[in-house]
Amino acid sequence: MSEQNNLISLKVHGVLVDPNTDTQIVILRDERNSEVLPIWVGTAEGTSIRLALEGVVPPRPMSHDLIQSFGEHLGFEVTSVVITEVKNNTYYASIHLTHNGLERNVDSRPSDAIALALRTKSPILVTPEVLERRGGENLDAWLAKLDPKSFGQQEA
Amino acid sequence: MLNQMNVRGLLFDPYNNAYIVILRDEQNSDMLPIWVGKSEASAISFALEKIAPPRPMTHDLMKSILDNVEAKVISAVVTDLKDNTYFAKIHLLYGDSEYSIDSRPSDAIAVALRTDAPIFATEEVLRKQSSEELERWLENLKPEDFGKSES
Repeated sequence: MSEQNNLISLKVHGVLVDPNTDTQIVILRDERNSEVLPIWVGTAEGTSIRLALEGVVPPRPMSHDLIQSFGEHLGFEVTSVVITEVKNNTYYASIHLTHNGLERNVDSRPSDAIALALRTKSPILVTPEVLERRGGENLDAWLAKLDPKSFGQQEA
Repeated sequence: MLNQMNVRGLLFDPYNNAYIVILRDEQNSDMLPIWVGKSEASAISFALEKIAPPRPMTHDLMKSILDNVEAKVISAVVTDLKDNTYFAKIHLLYGDSEYSIDSRPSDAIAVALRTDAPIFATEEVLRKQSSEELERWLENLKPEDFGKSES
């Protein structure tokens, strides 16, 4: 990938529950905390991301633990995940694997990619175009209305 | 000894706000009801109805990763039942070796359905579980409970 150098590294800042819908919001920030990328995800994916953030090892493997376990057994590694595109408010991502010395890219939803990156300690990257085109203008207003108590208050 | 099972369908359990995957053996003599969460149920239901979602769901991603590294799903096996919790394994063929990987039954079934791999249950699991629980549950069910599966 020639544009690999332009990619921006993001950290998962937290997972919020959107009280108005049955969804959760993953908040990604760049390392200088100057950019925020909120991504709406389903409840199961949000929960999976939160468990990984908190370092909780569930008694039985959840779906993304299973994918990680495939890698450990078969010897492929997740090298990075990249949020590649945003179209009609939908984000697209790609999971980069190395397998027998070859790099492979697998299309994914960002939620699965992030859940897997946190478990495999792989970098989460985003293209500058996605950061530019994100629908962030409504986010500040939305965040301002949010009760601080909403942070981290969700059951599994 | 393994018994091959087919996924007969999914029921909504309004009392527990969960779903039940119904597995039956080929002779339809043994039934294995497995309670699963909403997202696992939808992953199984998409595969049963052969719906290809516009974007890969988690189990489509699993299949895609396994395809990319040329690993083949041989089977999914429900291996144990302890304290009302089922355990499963996914058997993979990779290179010349076989790998068995611990999984929840819901993930194992969702992957098996997408890869056309057979689903098995051990004799022990079939013996340990009694479908009495399900039968009792079904008897209590009112006709209007059927099909009420919105979130």
